[in-house]
Amino acid sequence: MPLPLVSRQQIMLFRLLRFILILALIVSAPPSFDAMAQALGQGAAGLITDQQKVIQGLTAKTDDLEKKIQQDGEDDASLVDIRLQLEDLSRAALTSALAFRSRLTDINNRIEMLGAPPAAGQPQEPDIVTGERQALASEKAEINAVVASAQNLSIRISGLIDKIGNMRSELFRNLLTKRYVLSDALSPQVFSDARDEFGNFYKAVSSWLSFAFKFKFQAILAATFVALGLALVLLVGGRRLFGRVFEADPTNEDPSYLSRLSVAFWSTLLPTLAVGAFLGSTIFFFNYYNVLRGDIGLFLNALATVIGVVFCVNRLTNAALSPRLPNWRLIPVETGPARWLVRLATAMAVVISVNTFLSIINDKMGSPLSLTIARSFGATIIVGVILILMAMLRPFKARDGSWRPWPAWLRYTSLALGVFTIVAALLGYIGLALFVSLQVVVTGTALITAYIGFLSARAIGEEGAFANTSVGRWLSANSSYEDTALDQLGLVVSVAINLMIVLVFLPLILLMWGFQPGDIQAWAYKLATGINIGSVTISVTGILSGIVVFVIGYFLTRWFQGWLDGSVMARGKVDTGVRNSIRLAVGYAGVALAALVGISAAGIDLSSLALVAGALSLGIGFGLQNVVSNFVSGLILLAERPFKVGDWIVAGDVSGTVKKISVRATEIETFQRQSVILPNSNLINNAVGNWTHRNKLGRVDIKVGVAYGSDVKQVHAILLEIARSHPLVLKNPEPFVLFSNFGTAALEFEIRVFLADVMNGNIAQNDIRFAVLEKFSGEHIEIPSTPRAVVDAHKPKAWPTDDDKIEADFAEQEQAKVEAAAEAKRAVKTGRKVRKPDPD
Amino acid sequence: MPCEMQQRRWEHRYCTMWKSLVAAVALVAAIGSAHAASAVNKDAETRTLVVTEGGSKTDLALAGGETVEFCPNGCFVTLPNGDLEALTGSETVEISGGVARIK
Repeated sequence: MPLPLVSRQQIMLFRLLRFILILALIVSAPPSFDAMAQALGQGAAGLITDQQKVIQGLTAKTDDLEKKIQQDGEDDASLVDIRLQLEDLSRAALTSALAFRSRLTDINNRIEMLGAPPAAGQPQEPDIVTGERQALASEKAEINAVVASAQNLSIRISGLIDKIGNMRSELFRNLLTKRYVLSDALSPQVFSDARDEFGNFYKAVSSWLSFAFKFKFQAILAATFVALGLALVLLVGGRRLFGRVFEADPTNEDPSYLSRLSVAFWSTLLPTLAVGAFLGSTIFFFNYYNVLRGDIGLFLNALATVIGVVFCVNRLTNAALSPRLPNWRLIPVETGPARWLVRLATAMAVVISVNTFLSIINDKMGSPLSLTIARSFGATIIVGVILILMAMLRPFKARDGSWRPWPAWLRYTSLALGVFTIVAALLGYIGLALFVSLQVVVTGTALITAYIGFLSARAIGEEGAFANTSVGRWLSANSSYEDTALDQLGLVVSVAINLMIVLVFLPLILLMWGFQPGDIQAWAYKLATGINIGSVTISVTGILSGIVVFVIGYFLTRWFQGWLDGSVMARGKVDTGVRNSIRLAVGYAGVALAALVGISAAGIDLSSLALVAGALSLGIGFGLQNVVSNFVSGLILLAERPFKVGDWIVAGDVSGTVKKISVRATEIETFQRQSVILPNSNLINNAVGNWTHRNKLGRVDIKVGVAYGSDVKQVHAILLEIARSHPLVLKNPEPFVLFSNFGTAALEFEIRVFLADVMNGNIAQNDIRFAVLEKFSGEHIEIPSTPRAVVDAHKPKAWPTDDDKIEADFAEQEQAKVEAAAEAKRAVKTGRKVRKPDPD
Repeated sequence: MPCEMQQRRWEHRYCTMWKSLVAAVALVAAIGSAHAASAVNKDAETRTLVVTEGGSKTDLALAGGETVEFCPNGCFVTLPNGDLEALTGSETVEISGGVARIK
């Protein structure tokens, strides 16, 4: 039982390394395969024998490995290694078979050129042709035989890889279910064993130390100093670079979650990096100067890992819980429990790491099994106790001052895990207990880190949070993003962070749990290329690429639209209505095209879509009759253009300016600023009045009545004069005054004037009416009225003089005046035009 | 034209959105390009390829005009004329007139 921990740790590292290696291979493989195939394709004659030899060699290696599988069946690490070698062999077999491709193509081309052998009854072909055909056919048969042997080899290797997978899972099961007799392991014998082993270890280390000091003292000094220097540079440089975000500011009462997070992150990362760099470079330089001897290198490696891990865990818990600065705590626990949590977590890391370190020593020293069991037993019991202690901790304070425990699920999970570990260890299932405690630490750390990541994503996604980050500040200073755009960007970033956390931590945790990178890769591939549900294939990449294509198409359309509208048509002095129509039409066409291309890029067959559309079209025809009719009407509106954006139209009861013509409905803003959404079919099927269709010319009629007995000639002249003299009134068509009626109470006239812009109608009407009244009173012409009600206006009596009130009123008036002046000034400053009154 | 010079508000918004989305799209496009060998049957009738991948042989029947992605990590393929070929997973097998060609 000296194996499990060591091998697990190594395997994890190994898996990660291999994962990276495989990735690199995948990236680099295809070109090298092709190149090799081409190079080998040159020598045709020797090719077959060469490749036969290669495949024989590979087969021999496979035989060796198969034997090795039987021998090393108990050793997980060596099984993994064999698996890797087998995968290499499988690739090599494939590569050797690839070498025939160009030759095979040549042969097939030649055979095709020679044509089919003559059938019976046809004239004989020359012997040379027959001979060549036979030669080619036999060469082809040989090649096929060699490729077939490569194929068989690859099938066999796949079988072996499967077998290794089964053996490993069997091993793992054994590890978890194997029961040790504790009474043997925990006898007093263990202490003497431990003493012996410690003596051995001490001897080994001291002999190495004396050797090192005698012969390599300078090298050790140099290596240590260089490593220290490197770590210092990292630490000091890091502090310089990130100093502001690195250290918590104790005076800050309420730091934002993001700044707390970045402090926690950097104050964990930088020191850990510095320590890691120090340890790594120390070992590197020791190796470089050949200071290390025998197993010392392994021990030193393990020691470095132990120190690094303990340091990292301590920094992380300190940063997250920050016992000294309650304001900077990431997880809102109380100060006392925070201190305890840091201690317990560090203790757990120390126990696990020391256990790992000792297991390596046990392994190398060849110590008895009982010692290993005793050590693992101790470690698992301690971890279990720590877990239970953590669960028992009451980290929160209620409002009434009483201590509250963790949320129930967390408490009970932790409690259950702790109890489980202890019980398993007590029953002798040391492997299981060790596995669980290791998983608790490793997975727990990963989960907590992921959780903090999620929290940060949430913090960034909050409204206005992104603009306050350094990136957000930089963006708002250096680009034209507005606050809303920044906010949306923050949302995107937060979603991306969430996605990234899932993408990073899910495989990581799966790897920790003993899944193979190959499995994960295969799942990811399957997910990416397609899951078959019935005859429909749903593939993430397909859908994603479809969406991407659509988005690209959409933005291309927008860009084209903008370019056409802003650069071409604006320069070409195209009428705004036409511009609008063309822009909309281009937009709809582009989006439709992008959608079609996107759908086909997503792997959805357009022909099947057409089938569905055909089947549904009848139903759609009935169900969406109105929508379709509006849609078609919208297209007609765009083509025919009875009105354009900005026109004053009257459609039924609605009168107002057209704001937007879209494909289903048209938005009209009445002069009371009410938006009316009018379905396009209404505008097509019914009469629509347009005051500003071809031009804005319009006639305004003003009715005037004068009393019987007035001089109508004079009135006519006056009215005509007033109409003519108004600056807004057109000379042509001429203004006209109509003597329209002998009314019951008055002689009725009507002034009819044409205006260049009918939108100015109210201004003109006002002016003319004022002028008429003024002129009539000057000329003593009466405008009769029929009083309907006589209002006896009582003027209210003045209030008794109240100085205070008058003063207050005066002050109020002054204030209002000042405000009005300021408002006017502002209006002038912003260049806002004083709006003319609406025509209606 | 820089975004801030856009006159109407919605144009401005589209412009900034456009900028930020271009980056995202480029990223996704870079990630989303997965590789596999593909087989195209340009004939009208169904053709069958025998694919040996991961220790098992499977028949890959291609209906007329169908395109299929297969063999992501290298495999052996028996073509309709009986030839056995190795694929690395980046090729295109094109069947026309009953004859398969690897490109």
